[in-house]
Amino acid sequence: MGHNTRKKRNRWWMTVMPLYLFTVFFVALPMVYLLALSFLTRAQTWGVVNEFTLDNYLRIASPVYLNTFKESFRMAVLTTAGTLLIGYPFGYLMARLPARAKSLMMLLVVIPFWTSALMRMYGWIIIFRSNGLLDKLLMGLGITDSPLKLLYSYPAVLVGMVYSLLPFMILSVYSSTDKMDWSLVEAARDLGATKWEAFFTVTMKLTLPGILSGIVLVFIPSMGLFFIADILGGGKVMLVGNLIQNQLQSGRDWPFAAALSVVLMIFTSVMIWVYRKVSGVKDLEGLL
Amino acid sequence: MKKNRRFFAVLTAAALAAANLSGCGGSGQNGGGDAPAQAEDASQGGKEGKGDPGELNIYTWAEYVPQDVINQFEDETGIRVNYTNFEANEEMLAKLETSKGGDYDIIIASDYIIKIAADEGLVKELDQGKLPNFKNIDPVFQNFFYDPDNKLTIPYGPGIPLLVYDPSAVACEITGYESLWDPSLEDSLALMDSERVVMGMALKTMGESFNTEDPDVIRAAGEKLMGLAPNVRVLSQNQTQDYLLSGEVGAAFLFTSQVVLALSQNPQLQVVYPKEGLGFGVDAAFIPSQAPNSDNAHAFLNFILDGEIGAQVAQQTYYLCPNQASYEFLDEEFKKSLVISADDIPKGEFIQDVGAEATALHEELWTEFKSALD
Repeated sequence: MGHNTRKKRNRWWMTVMPLYLFTVFFVALPMVYLLALSFLTRAQTWGVVNEFTLDNYLRIASPVYLNTFKESFRMAVLTTAGTLLIGYPFGYLMARLPARAKSLMMLLVVIPFWTSALMRMYGWIIIFRSNGLLDKLLMGLGITDSPLKLLYSYPAVLVGMVYSLLPFMILSVYSSTDKMDWSLVEAARDLGATKWEAFFTVTMKLTLPGILSGIVLVFIPSMGLFFIADILGGGKVMLVGNLIQNQLQSGRDWPFAAALSVVLMIFTSVMIWVYRKVSGVKDLEGLL
Repeated sequence: MKKNRRFFAVLTAAALAAANLSGCGGSGQNGGGDAPAQAEDASQGGKEGKGDPGELNIYTWAEYVPQDVINQFEDETGIRVNYTNFEANEEMLAKLETSKGGDYDIIIASDYIIKIAADEGLVKELDQGKLPNFKNIDPVFQNFFYDPDNKLTIPYGPGIPLLVYDPSAVACEITGYESLWDPSLEDSLALMDSERVVMGMALKTMGESFNTEDPDVIRAAGEKLMGLAPNVRVLSQNQTQDYLLSGEVGAAFLFTSQVVLALSQNPQLQVVYPKEGLGFGVDAAFIPSQAPNSDNAHAFLNFILDGEIGAQVAQQTYYLCPNQASYEFLDEEFKKSLVISADDIPKGEFIQDVGAEATALHEELWTEFKSALD
C-alpha cells in the first residue's frame, strides 16, 4: 500500500494511517508482548519476574504437553476431514441449484451465525444427553434398549467441532464451484469422459482452491477452539486451547501460556504457508 | 449463580482462543452506569456533603450479590451501584493489579486469591468504626489464613464441598474419596474441573494435606489419580448438581451451594462427609487499597452484615450463613437444607497456594489425567 502515498496527492496517508495504527497497536504490539512474555519466568505466587528463560519452550517439549498438541492436531485433522466430507457435496450441489433456491440455501447456512455458538452447543447437549432426543429416538426405533452415554466423549466433541466449522467449508467450496466454467465439464463429457471421470479430472481440479481454502479456514480455528471441548467433552478432552486457558487461570503461569500460544501461532502460520505453496495463491484474500 | 461463571468467558474467548492473554471476562453490568474506571472522580466521601451520595463499584461473579439486596441498598442510601463481574479469581486479581488497587470498591473473591492480593498490598484495612455490624460475624468464620487478624475481610460465602450420590444408581457404599475408585462406579462420577480439588481428593486418600509441596507425594497422588480416570463421566464447575439430578452420573463432588440445590430437588440423595477429611473454602468481601468510594464500601459491608440482609444473601447464594444475627431470619426450610453444621468448619482444610514448582507439577499431572479421560 506504500506506493499509493506517492501516486496520489500528499494527504492520502491520512486515510491509511488509522489502519496502520490499528494494526500496530492491536496486532503487532500484543504479538511482541506475547513473544517477550514467553521468555520470562513466572513468579512464585503471582505475576511474572523479569528473568530470561527458555524453560517455557522446553516444557512444551515434555511428553505430556507434546501429547496435548498431538491430540489437538488429531482433532483438527478429523474435524477438517468431517467438514470436507459433508461440506464438499453440500457446497457443490448448492452451487448447482437454481438461483432462488441457491440464495435460500445460503441464508440457511448463514443463519446459525446469528445465534451464539454457545447456545448452539447447548442444543447438542439436549440431543446427546442420556435419555435425550437421540436416545429416545434410537430406543423408540428399537435400535438400542438402554440410554447410550453419548455426551461428554471424544466423538461428541468432534460432532460439535464439525458442526460449528462446517459453514466455512460449505461457503469455500460453493464459491469456487459457483465460479467454475461448466463448459469445461461439458467438453470433457463430449470427448468421452464418463460422469465420474469428468468430475475427478475437471470439476475436482477446478474446485481445488475452494477445498484448500476451506481446509485452512476449518483447520486453523479447530486447533484453538476450547469451549466446545469443555462443553461437549465434559471437561475431559484437553486441547491446546484448554491448556492455554488452564495455564492462565488455575496454573497462574502466564509465560508458559504465552509460549504455548506462540507455538500454536507458529504452527498455524506454517499451515498457511503450506496452503500458499500448494495453491499458488499469493495473498490470503484468496481464502474466500 | 456464581458457578455459572465460566459461561461468559467461554463466549468471548471462543473468538480469541489462541492469543487470549488479557483474561477473558465478559464484563456484563447490572446496575446502570459505565465502566468503574470512570467512577474515580465520583464523590470520595460524598456522604459528607448534602449532595450526591455517589457510587459503589462491586466486582465479583455474576449474580453473586442478589439483585434485591442491591436494590434495597440503593433505595436506603441513594448510592448508585455498578456491578461488574469476573468469571475467575485470577482474572479479578490481574485487573486489580492493573488498576493498582483502584477502580473497584467492593470485591468478593475466594480465600486463596485474597491472600495473594493482600500480600501484594492491594487490600485496604477495614475501618471498624464504620462497621457497627462487624460484631454479627460468627467467629467460626474468622481468623483464617488470608486474614488472620480479621482486619481486611468479611466472610461472604463459606462452604465445604461434599460427596453426594443417588443410592438408586450406585451399587457400592460411598464413605469417602477412596470409595470413588470402586470399579462399580465406572463412568458415573461428576467431579470438579479443578486440578487442586481433584488432586486433593487423591492426596487425602493417601493421608496427605491438600497443600503439600513435596513433589514425590504430589507425583504419587497423580499416579493414584490415573486409576480414577475410568470412573469419571464429567468434569464440571457449573451446575454440577444437574448431572446428578438428570441421572447422567450416580455420584458427584459438589460445592455447598450445589449440594443445597441438589437436595432441594431430590431429597433421596445421600450426602457423604468424606472420612479422609473435609475441604473448606470461603469467598470473602474486601475493599481494594485504592477504592475510589471507600466510605460507600464500608456502608455496603455494614449493610450486608445486618441480620436480615445477611439472611437474604445466604438464602439466595445457598452458602453457609456466616452471620450469627441472621440465624433468626432464616427460613425453616432453608435451615433444614443446610447439611453442614458450624462444628464441621474447623475440620476443613483450605486449598492454598503451593508455589511455582508444585503448581506447575499439579498442572502437568492434571493434563496427563485429562488425556486419559476421553
